[in-house]
Amino acid sequence: MFKREIKINSKSFILWTFILCTIFLVVFLLYPSLVKSDNIKMMDEILKIFPEDVLKSFNMDISSISTAFGWLQTEGLMLIYLVTGAYAAILGSNLILKEEDDKTIEYLHSLPITRTKIALSKIAAGLIYVVAMVLFIGIFNYIGLIVNEDINDKTFFYLSISPLITSLVLFSLCMFISTFNRKTKTMMGISLGIVFGSYILNILSTISESIEFLKYFSIFALADTRNIIVNSSLNPVMLFISLALIIILLVLTIIKYNKKELV
Amino acid sequence: MKAALEIKNLTKYYGDILGVKNLNLELEKGEIFGFIGPNGAGKSTTLRCIMNLINKSQGEIYINGILFDKDNTSLKEIVGYLPSEINLYEDLTVQEILNYHQSFYKKDLSKNRNKLVKLFKLDENKKIENLSLGNLKKLGIVLALMHEPEILILDEPTSGLDPIMQQTFYNLLLEEKKKGTTILYSTHVLNEVAKICDRVGIIKEGNLLKIESIENLHKLNLFYVTIISEEVNKIIKELKLNKYEINNNLIKFRNTIDINILIKALSKFKINKLLIEEASLEDIFLHYYK
Repeated sequence: MFKREIKINSKSFILWTFILCTIFLVVFLLYPSLVKSDNIKMMDEILKIFPEDVLKSFNMDISSISTAFGWLQTEGLMLIYLVTGAYAAILGSNLILKEEDDKTIEYLHSLPITRTKIALSKIAAGLIYVVAMVLFIGIFNYIGLIVNEDINDKTFFYLSISPLITSLVLFSLCMFISTFNRKTKTMMGISLGIVFGSYILNILSTISESIEFLKYFSIFALADTRNIIVNSSLNPVMLFISLALIIILLVLTIIKYNKKELV
Repeated sequence: MKAALEIKNLTKYYGDILGVKNLNLELEKGEIFGFIGPNGAGKSTTLRCIMNLINKSQGEIYINGILFDKDNTSLKEIVGYLPSEINLYEDLTVQEILNYHQSFYKKDLSKNRNKLVKLFKLDENKKIENLSLGNLKKLGIVLALMHEPEILILDEPTSGLDPIMQQTFYNLLLEEKKKGTTILYSTHVLNEVAKICDRVGIIKEGNLLKIESIENLHKLNLFYVTIISEEVNKIIKELKLNKYEINNNLIKFRNTIDINILIKALSKFKINKLLIEEASLEDIFLHYYK
């Protein structure tokens, strides 16, 4: 069963990874010529005109886009969070629910396998794909970056694995919510809503101190990228909270799936 | 001796809507039990509860005396289930789904699998999405039977099958019965029940009305009498009939009178036509439903 889960989810994994890698490939190919021109320095100067809070939202106050690594720490990283987050959320939503939507769940449940094992096989396949995507993009970016410039390996490593935190929490959360739903279409809307809603809340929370509390409602705040860029380390508190969330949500998914009434 | 399959106090509500109420049933080893009733009577609900596909509001299922719940995989290994609507992974070929199915069982199923594929003339290279309704049903039958189950739960198994395949299927079930397989056969096609079942349970609006052997149903002495006479009104009076169908000079009623008394009574009247016939299974079925 695990093998089948790996097989049927391979196409979407390849497609999502390919899209993300293509974007980064274009950036890596364009940056060397951009860096040499005066335009990029001008851009940096122009950016300084923006209020600090706005720059803070995109980590532009602590890094410069005058290098490809600088771009990765600002816009690039956000793109990775969004794409891996959306992929993980959709994957988590569909793994069990698709069987219900396609009505193949009746066949699956008539086989000599417990619901817990079914859920575990699906969770394992999903986790593997989310981890594989983040690692693949990390390696891809590393190769793309070291060709042209020197980078801080430690910072890069933590930045590269930080999307694991957000995407795995999103995966677990969407998988849990999917056990309350019956239709994949509804769940698709919910999962993307969580990803983009969470992203917007995270941006808003950094703009003004008065709305900083919004970050507690954003999954992207768990990665604490500012800490990685400034201190070259992961925030242990956020890491612990994320791990606890992932485990709790996945355990709840299994419990709820075991009790779920199938129509 | 413990029943091969026992349903104890099964009740299922969908919210406020009753699916099945307090259903009790015991099937002996090697028995084919016909479960009959019209659409919406609760047949599929009962079968899906047995298979633990839906949660029961109340009641238990026992197989060979052991509680059969959704986590009992060793009992699941000896149960075969054919749903009325078959939904399988459309991206797979017949061969791939058979391999996938086989991967869930500990024992080697290849021999029986090959026998069944040959018997039902299935093309293993075809994709499931391209299968006709009949071929999909045949694949469902192979999946339900390939692990040589001791208990077979069949929900309207012949819908979509052509008459030749239906016959092949009946023969296969009779062969299974000889081997000791216990079969719960849900249908609304009554002549199927007459052909292969040992006993029959009639379900109506979630209640199991009657359990009877096919032999006894025929022995119920349900006779229908049809008379054409110009004196039908006098006949009704003489026989003190309460329930009858009347159409001009024709009268039809279910006979509850001793046949000799009936003939004696009718001899007083001028009869144009008299037909006394044994009730068909359809008549018996309708008798319970009226």
